[in-house]
Amino acid sequence: MFCIAAFIVLVLMAAVSARYRRYLGKAWNCTLRRVTFRPCDTTFKQDIKDHLLAPLAVRRPGLVGPASVALEVVALLVVLTTVWSAYVVVKSGVNLYVYGTCNKQDSASCSLGAEACAIPDQTPTFGESLLSGDVIGAFGNDFASLGETFSAIPARMQNWDAEEYLPANASYLNAYDTEKETALEVIDPGCTYCLELFNNIEEAGFDDRMNLTYIAYPIASADGYKFKNSLLVTQYLEALRLNPLDGAATPVDWEILRRIYTEDNDQGVSWQSVFNGAEPDAATALLQDWSAEFGLSPEEVTTVASVAASAEVADIIAANTQMVEERIHTVKIPSIIFEGRRHDGLVSVDDLK
Amino acid sequence: MKHTGLVRRTAPVAVEDGRLTDFAYLAPGAVYLDSACQSLRPQPVIDALSEYYTEYNACGGRVKYAWGTRVDREVQDARRAVLDLFGLSGRSHAVSFTLNTTFGLNLLQQLPQGRFGRVVTSHIEHNSVFLPTMTAATRLGVPRLVLDRAADGALAYQPAQLERAVVVVNVASNIDGRLLTNLTDLVRDTHAHGGIVILDAAQAMAHERTLLAKTEADAICFSAHKMYGASLGVVVATHELLGSLELTFVGGGMVADVREDSYDLLANDPGALLEPGLQAWGEIIALHRAIDWLGQVRPGGRPAAEHIEGLSQRLFEGLGDIPGLTLVNTEASPVISVYAPKQDSHRLAVFLSQSQIMVRSGYFCAHHYLKDQLGLPPLLRFSLGLHSTTADIDQATQALARLMKGLS
Repeated sequence: MFCIAAFIVLVLMAAVSARYRRYLGKAWNCTLRRVTFRPCDTTFKQDIKDHLLAPLAVRRPGLVGPASVALEVVALLVVLTTVWSAYVVVKSGVNLYVYGTCNKQDSASCSLGAEACAIPDQTPTFGESLLSGDVIGAFGNDFASLGETFSAIPARMQNWDAEEYLPANASYLNAYDTEKETALEVIDPGCTYCLELFNNIEEAGFDDRMNLTYIAYPIASADGYKFKNSLLVTQYLEALRLNPLDGAATPVDWEILRRIYTEDNDQGVSWQSVFNGAEPDAATALLQDWSAEFGLSPEEVTTVASVAASAEVADIIAANTQMVEERIHTVKIPSIIFEGRRHDGLVSVDDLK
Repeated sequence: MKHTGLVRRTAPVAVEDGRLTDFAYLAPGAVYLDSACQSLRPQPVIDALSEYYTEYNACGGRVKYAWGTRVDREVQDARRAVLDLFGLSGRSHAVSFTLNTTFGLNLLQQLPQGRFGRVVTSHIEHNSVFLPTMTAATRLGVPRLVLDRAADGALAYQPAQLERAVVVVNVASNIDGRLLTNLTDLVRDTHAHGGIVILDAAQAMAHERTLLAKTEADAICFSAHKMYGASLGVVVATHELLGSLELTFVGGGMVADVREDSYDLLANDPGALLEPGLQAWGEIIALHRAIDWLGQVRPGGRPAAEHIEGLSQRLFEGLGDIPGLTLVNTEASPVISVYAPKQDSHRLAVFLSQSQIMVRSGYFCAHHYLKDQLGLPPLLRFSLGLHSTTADIDQATQALARLMKGLS
């Protein structure tokens, strides 16, 4: 173990100083033999240990024994942490490629990918499992997660066609044009990055080039939903899709989304923030007021409210959730599919142009 | 101060701490106890080498200009000084300079086919003897006999075992300094049975040369760097032995004439037969200075041998007093090997090095004897030189004692 640790350390030191390169060959030979379960045939390990311990031996020879044991322990830790680090690097790299985040369980914590609202993984983290004494679960969950990521690589490499993932009753921001390509957003009405994406889309004129539609996906959390009224808004959006307003230039569900994402209330607070902080009754009232404002009759508003609470809408939302989690396989909201790719997280104006 | 071969120096004296002034360059606190590998060079030897390089750096044996003729003269003097060391005559013996003792021993074993019936050596030999005797026996197609050495260093043999034998043994062991005490008998008996004796005198030349005085051995090989000279090998051999060699290692410097498919070796210079190519002129000249120095040096006003004997006794007793240490030596010697059954000798050597104490660890190129025969772990070897002082020995033994106590 010691010569493996020494090799690891020497690789790093040799990278910055030629002085240590002469030892690399010896360390490598020793390491090669150790990893192939053969005894090291040089005194390299002993030489390194002795030279490290020599200053102590001169001052306090009685401490050489414990220090020698400590060196072995440190060597073991160096090897373990290096192996674990390598594992994490590989895992993070694959996750970054597949999901656009190096941390699949909490995508928002990874600064390497695009900004997004994370879809939290309810599986206990490695550390949480260890703390709860579930060692097997800690490794099992981690390896299972990695296996899942690897199995998703082919999907990541595929040619993404938004048409294949359209929700039931898809509504388009602008009138559907068969000449245009379809783009599909996966959004949470309460997610601030979805707000930013919508603004980018408008600024880039993306909505004019594409048939833009969406899947509303309220991000779940351990105690409900990540954003207080996302499910409620989603229910209304789906209900409005089931009951479209005849003759509307822009579907009412899109009008509501646009208002949430682009407009502020009288106090200058964005409607998205208002919804995220509002009580359900107030939010419901707002949605109904807006529906009426966008052209729905009182009867239609009542119908929409009723449908929003229906099993039909619940089924649609469940189907959409399944689509997002099992077919689109994203862990970041927003995600958007267009031009053969799935883009996870916030997409810049330039990339949308 | 520069010296030439013509200037006689005054005898070196000891400095305040007992160290000879000729080793005053040694850093304070540094304790060098590996003279069996190579001795420290006294200042006059260093000066002689430096003088050659800076004042008359010429090739010898082939040029007519003044620097070259001076080199020839100095080298000739060096050869004579070597013979004088042993009390031998240039009419019967020649001196060749080589790379080191091992090189000389290998060169001498270009022995004629059919002349010898066996190769004899002993178990306590350095690999420089042990290995070449294997290859020589194989090349000559004769058996190889490996004999024991008694505790006093005498080779244990039956005269019949020396029948037409090539006997190759050391004069002093590099493990414990034991001497070939029956050298005279061995040479006599070997010659009586038609054999020859080749001596590895590498460890004997610094402090045990008297054993070799007027020896009738056929060849003596030693290293200048173990007797205060610069790095150089030396072979002293009889004209008869040199003339009988079937040389396969040949080149310039040893030929009288060369034709397309044949050559004539120098007829009247047997020493040149082992000196193909350009020689280490500066080192040869420095050897002469080392021999002169050895003849004059009187540490503490005492003869060198007496000084070394006193230091050896102190070292032997000092090491013997350390608990947990086992001495390989049975008596005091300038070379003393020890081991601690519970400690790794290499580790001890590294730890001692941290205190500027330089000792050797391992098997000292005597793997067969120490590993196979005695089954010992790697040893720790302390070897003294004329630079050594009682303070050096005390510093080393105290440091080792402290380590042994702390590590136990």
